[in-house]
This record gives sequence, C-alpha cells and structure tokens, in this order.
Amino acid sequence: MKVLKLTPERCTGCLRCEIACSYMQTATYQPAKSVIRVSPFEGHTSYAPYTCTQCAEGWCMTACPVGAITINVAGAKDVVDDKCVGCKLCTIACPYGTMFYDTGTRKAFKCNLCSGEPACAQACPTAAIEYADVATADWLGDFAAERVSHVLAVNGGR
Amino acid sequence: MPTRHLIIGGGTAGMNAMRTIREEEREPSEITLVSAERPYSRMVLPYYLDRSVAESHVFTATAIQLAQWKVKALVGRRAAGLDPKASVCTLDDGTTVEYDDCLIATGSSPVRAPVPGADGRAVHSFWTLDDARAVIDEITPGCQVVMVGAGFISFTILNSILSLGAKLTIVEVAPRILPRMVDATGAELVEGWLKAHGVTLRTGARLTRIEDAKGRKRLKFAAGGDLVADVVIMATGIKTNLDWLKGSGVVVDKAVVVDERLRSNVPNVYAAGDSAQGKDLISGQGAVHAIEPTAQEHGRIAGANMAGKSIAYRGSLIINIVEVCHLDVASFGAWDDGKAEGLGGLKKDRNAYRTLMFTGDRLTGAIIIGRSNDVWTTNDVGMLKGLVQAGTPLGRFKEHLRKNPFDVKTAFIASKTTRALLPETVLGRPSMAPGDSPVAV
Repeated sequence: MKVLKLTPERCTGCLRCEIACSYMQTATYQPAKSVIRVSPFEGHTSYAPYTCTQCAEGWCMTACPVGAITINVAGAKDVVDDKCVGCKLCTIACPYGTMFYDTGTRKAFKCNLCSGEPACAQACPTAAIEYADVATADWLGDFAAERVSHVLAVNGGR
Repeated sequence: MPTRHLIIGGGTAGMNAMRTIREEEREPSEITLVSAERPYSRMVLPYYLDRSVAESHVFTATAIQLAQWKVKALVGRRAAGLDPKASVCTLDDGTTVEYDDCLIATGSSPVRAPVPGADGRAVHSFWTLDDARAVIDEITPGCQVVMVGAGFISFTILNSILSLGAKLTIVEVAPRILPRMVDATGAELVEGWLKAHGVTLRTGARLTRIEDAKGRKRLKFAAGGDLVADVVIMATGIKTNLDWLKGSGVVVDKAVVVDERLRSNVPNVYAAGDSAQGKDLISGQGAVHAIEPTAQEHGRIAGANMAGKSIAYRGSLIINIVEVCHLDVASFGAWDDGKAEGLGGLKKDRNAYRTLMFTGDRLTGAIIIGRSNDVWTTNDVGMLKGLVQAGTPLGRFKEHLRKNPFDVKTAFIASKTTRALLPETVLGRPSMAPGDSPVAV
C-alpha cells in the first residue's frame, strides 16, 4: 500500500500542503480545514508536516458505532459522510490525534489519501511529502526529539 | 458438528463478538443471538432525537443481514437463566438453547431517582429506542424540559433538546455538574458556558416528588423551589442487567468477573461490555467500564477467543467525550486519581481547560475542555489518549507540559509515541473495514 512518506528535514514550512489539502477535502482554501498540519519546531526555525499514519488497527474505524469509517480504494481509512452522525467517538479513539470534526457539517473528517492522488504530495515543492509504496512509520519522532532538545536545553522548555 | 455459539444481547458487545467470530473462524459455526430488542446503536439516539437522521439509521443489523451472516436471531426474547453445567440457557418464554460457548452481553438499564411520581406520565429515561420515540413525541418547540441528573447521558442529548426548540433546565443532586466526568474547575467552566447558552442549571438539588399539575408536571425539591415541566427526563444512573444469572454459579461482583480473554470462572462462558468486570488498562485491576469503546473491544476479544484464537486483552481505558453547544468536554483514564500529580491550565477567556494527571513521568489520565471549532482541542484529545494508551515515559517532556499544557503535540511527537503505538492492534492483525467483514457493524 502507498502511504504519505514524510521527510521533515525537507519541509520549508510553506504550507502549500495545507492549502491543497483543505481544497481537496472541503473545497475551501483554508488551512484550518486541512487534515495535514505543519508544525513549527525550534522556535519557528524548522517545520514538519503531520497527518494520519493509516495505522493497522484503525482505531477510528473500529470505534465508529455506525460503521461510517471504512477502507477506500487507496487503502486509506475514510469517513462515509452519509453514515457519520457526528458523535466524535473517533476523535477520542484515534491515539495519534489525526481525526478532525467540522462544526458546520457536524461530521468527522480525516486524511483519506485523496483516494489515491494525495493533493498534499503533489503540492509539496521539496518532496517533504511523497506518496510512496513503503511501510507506514513514525516519520517525525527522531527529527522532533532532536530539534526540541535544542529548545529545552537553551531555555528550559519555553 | 459445528461449534454452537450463543450470544446473549444484541448491543455493541454482542454485535462485535458475532462479527469477529465470522472474521476469525476457520470452519463455519452456528451462531444464535438472543436479543430483547432489534440490534441498534444507542450512540445514534441523540441524532435521531434531533431529527438529523431517520429512525432506520439507528439499526446495526436488519433481519435479512442477520440471515446473511447465518445468525439465528431470537429477537424479542430475554435470557432468564443459565445452567453452565448443562451448557443450557433458558429464555423468558420457557424455551431453552444449548451452546458450546456463550457470551453474556446483556448491558445495563437506567435507574430512576427513587421518588414518588418517577414512573408517571411524561417522565422518561433516555436509554432505549422506545424511550427516544416517546421523548420525540412529547418535545415541541417552546415546551419546558427538565432533566434530572447532570451526567454523561443527559449531556449527550442536551444539544438535541435545544435544537428542537425546547427550554431546558438540568437539576443535579451533587454540588456540581458532571461529577463522574470532570473535576470541579472543569465543571465550573462548563456550567458558565451552558448558562451563557440559555440552559438553566440547579445543582445540589434533591428531588423529592414529581406530581401532575394541570396537564404538566411539577417537580418538588428538598430545599423548595418547585419546577414546572412539560417533559421530565431522568438520567440518574444505570445498573447492569445480570439478575438473571443469580444461582448460575457464574461469579458476579460489580459485573461478571472475567480474565484477559473475557472468560468468566466458567471456561465456556464469556462476558463483555457493561456485563463484564475486566482489566483496567491503567490500574491493571478489574473494573466495569460501561462505555461504547469498551463494549467494542470486549466484544472483539471475546469473539476472537470464542472462534478458537487465544487473544489476551491489554485492558480498557475509560474515555468519554461529549459536545455541548459547541464546547468539547472529554476525560480519560485515571483523571480523578487522588495520588497522581495534576498539571494543567485554565484559559478562562478562551473557555479552554486541561488537567494532565501524571504518575511519575507517565500520563495516566487527563481532562480536556475547549471549543469545538478549535482544531487543537480535537487533535489534542486524540494525542492525550495516545499518551495514556501508550504509557509513554515522558521524561523531560513532562516539564515541557507543566509549562505548556496547551502544547501537547510537541511532547507527543518528540517522545516518539507514534513509534510505540503503530505496532499495536487489538486482535494482533490489521482490522477489517465494515464492508469487508462478513458482519457489517
């Protein structure tokens, strides 16, 4: 299965992925509606994108009481809008914090790999986000641990 | 001869067990389901109440689907007794069902405040589909609704009642709202929010009587101050439905005592969901977690073991989330552990609050309250659950969280919690999607 392979060292913080994602997911150019989120590290001197790992358990999918989260053609866990009632159980069941909730539609939403053509990967100018046939992984852990250590050392965790 | 599985209860635990049996079994087995009601999800009832979904949306299985899954469904029947020595279950109509193994998943029932008039006209629990139908029929725009009990159940239907145009008063015997879901600071924030959104709250109020009053209802309290209502909803607690097991020899404490494979003291009798007192992920001790996610996981573990696998359960984590007037209120794990170290922060102007409960450098529980349109509230809810679930040693990030309780993401990512979580699955394999499974729950 192809997944979003993230290489945080390449991320420039340009936010094009968030713009592209929000447009694909909700038809608005609005980073707040993006399901890939770029976070600053080291006092805004480095950045990294973060999104759903498409984990094997699918905590969101197994938690859903109405079977509204399924696996789409790309192998991604995907919310079926007609079935979702907006109970938010998936948002608390997902241990990665990658479920989202739209207060306008009262539905949960998440990364569905754009059904096989992820807009974020296409929009990324530095290949920090690639759509690749690799095992999903903790793409950010080592990077973040190293970057955060500078900040924690300098000012004790400002 | 095929194995004969008996599933007693068609709620979340029972449905998940049947589904997992069909996913895991190597040879087709016989499944008999005994269910007092046609299977549906209680989680959907608040959305049926506010008319955002049709009644058909609440059902988790139709008669045709049950037949397709080769489940012999005895709907409308209740279990009345169990004879584990003979492996026979007696039903309320006197008929009997023999089994090779069985699952006790008979759930809970609501308990009403023991006052005169509590069972009268226009006084309802909100638990079953029939309850929901009755409440829908009676709530009209502008009518006065009084909810007795300010706990999770009443909060799940609060939005629905307001959206139907009713005026809402909530009374609670405890000195504050949500006494079993959030701490006093969190409760104060939610109280202020609800009052600002037009909900009337009365805490520390002991109901003594409900009377008929010229076609309406009058509620009397120990400290005086009558309330008049058109509809009264009682959300004053639940109790497990296990009286039918008396004398069976199946050991019941607060619920059926089960091991890590959801097995009772009788090896071929399993229990799941509200019916089971199973392992708590945080304490490792037996606990009854009467919540949807525990029923799902219990059902799946029990089903896998009934299908011949040997799958141990890590334990269940108490997680609760409810949204009231666009404010998210969530808590997990040992949020009320008096021995844990609580770190947190309150942002009154933003209606945001967190308490992170630490045992050493591990997060063992949390409370999080924030506006629903704040993306970080939703995402942090998940990451805090992940930190509790993974039991990540947070080391230096504990100090980071002490100073920055609203910056959970940095600690989550940099502590490599994703790496710890990725290999974890409930059944030791990737989960199947609802449509790919023989039983679509």
